[in-house]
Amino acid sequence: MAKTIMIVDDSSTMLMSLRNSLEIAGYNVLSANDGQPALDQLKAGAKPDLIITDINMPNMGGIEFIGKARAVTGFRFTPILVLTTESQQAKRDDAKKLGATGWLVKPVSGADLTKIIKQVLPGA
Amino acid sequence: MVRAKLSLWAAAASPHCARWWGFVCLWRSPIAIACALLAMVFRLAPSVQAAVVGSLQGRPDDIALVLAAVLLLAALRWTSVAPAPVLAGRAAALPQLGPIQALLDTHLELDNEIDKKLQEVVVDTESSAIAIIGQVRQLHDSSNTLAQYLDKTNPQANTLGEDIVASMTYLVQIGAFIEELPAKLTRDLNAVQGVVQELTELSSLVGSVRAISMQSHLLSINAAIEGSRAGPGGAAFRVVAEEMRLLASNSSNVALKIGKGLERARAVVEAGMATRVAESSKAQSDVSQAVVSIRKLQENFEDMSQYFKTRFAVITQHNQNLTADIAAVLGHIQYQDVVKQCIDRMRNTTSQRNALLEEALAQMKQDGSEAAQLPQLLAQILANFVEEEQKHKHSARHDEQASGELKFELF
Repeated sequence: MAKTIMIVDDSSTMLMSLRNSLEIAGYNVLSANDGQPALDQLKAGAKPDLIITDINMPNMGGIEFIGKARAVTGFRFTPILVLTTESQQAKRDDAKKLGATGWLVKPVSGADLTKIIKQVLPGA
Repeated sequence: MVRAKLSLWAAAASPHCARWWGFVCLWRSPIAIACALLAMVFRLAPSVQAAVVGSLQGRPDDIALVLAAVLLLAALRWTSVAPAPVLAGRAAALPQLGPIQALLDTHLELDNEIDKKLQEVVVDTESSAIAIIGQVRQLHDSSNTLAQYLDKTNPQANTLGEDIVASMTYLVQIGAFIEELPAKLTRDLNAVQGVVQELTELSSLVGSVRAISMQSHLLSINAAIEGSRAGPGGAAFRVVAEEMRLLASNSSNVALKIGKGLERARAVVEAGMATRVAESSKAQSDVSQAVVSIRKLQENFEDMSQYFKTRFAVITQHNQNLTADIAAVLGHIQYQDVVKQCIDRMRNTTSQRNALLEEALAQMKQDGSEAAQLPQLLAQILANFVEEEQKHKHSARHDEQASGELKFELF
């Protein structure tokens, strides 16, 4: 059964690019354009096997979203990857402290993304 | 240069400051400098003015200060009301606040227009990127449909190939059978020739039977004669002799008929054999041609089968390459977001700089000394921008290996 991946990014280009890359690779895709609607989806019962989130978003940033998502029942151990243009160590440390699984720098090709997902989600 | 500009801006912050600054700089006289400084102090400090007024009203012990104040007031009046022609010309060359305000307004207007254009560019590139993604997806779907079509076609082609291989087996068997026909025909002809030989030998036996019949006939005649000579006692002997004569006659007739039948049979077989021999040459040629055709058909089929397999493998590989390229394109399109964020950061920095300039100008209108901090504040904005860009330095590089930056870190 195909795995479900949630992507959270305020950029329409990123959402479209990632959605198509992941769908072509055979995954089901959920998307949200900010941390808050993504969190709402999780609370409403969405069950992604993996979450990929941006850091800089207008209302709820990725770091805050990770912390709040970890508090939602059933998402304590769900892999969460950060996908951002930033590469500074301090933010990486913040994300790691709040429970992020990995840090990925934009842009990322569909092939690289698939490799990383298989690394994070064995059997995906 | 910046310090000079800032000094001029500071001077321009107050018309009086400008006048005194011009007075000092242009006259370059110690007296003038002293008067200017005293006048500035007097002008700027209300307590000094009050002291001067108080002295005039009943404090003659501070006459020196009063005189100095009078001189300074006179000088102030002179410089503000009737500047010397040369001094007025030089003061006119100094920067004034009005032109700087106009310059800043134009600058802000230009930045505003550039900002609008950048926003339009971001929106346009985003629309284009989304359109490209949609078209790339359609391309992938078409490619996928083709691949699925090939996937369905492949088993059908395999089934067809198996059927053709089975048919080829039959054809090869038929070819082998046809190839054996001349040998079979030769064997049949040999057998027929054997039959003819047998018939010939039987014909010779018919002559022997007829000779025996003839001798039996003569023997019966002789027996009949001898029976007649014997009189009544020879009557039975005559009867036997007559029966023998009839038997010999019948045997001869039968032998004759058998001989004629054998002769007709031999003639028919020999005629048929002659026809078969004549036809066998042509049959052998046809059989050879048929065998060649079957072998050629088999080779053509094998070539066609191999060609199809090769084409299928090539098309499959192209489809895989296309999918990989599409995935790469979808990755490269993400640079639109990277560039958008870079533009946002530049717009933000420009906005900070413009706010600082506006604030500085407002401060200059009140107090020129505050403008001295402008270079440091601008330098701080520059440092912040450079630091922020450093954090994103490697994100926009296409060649990950060249940058040496880790693009993925698993915590």
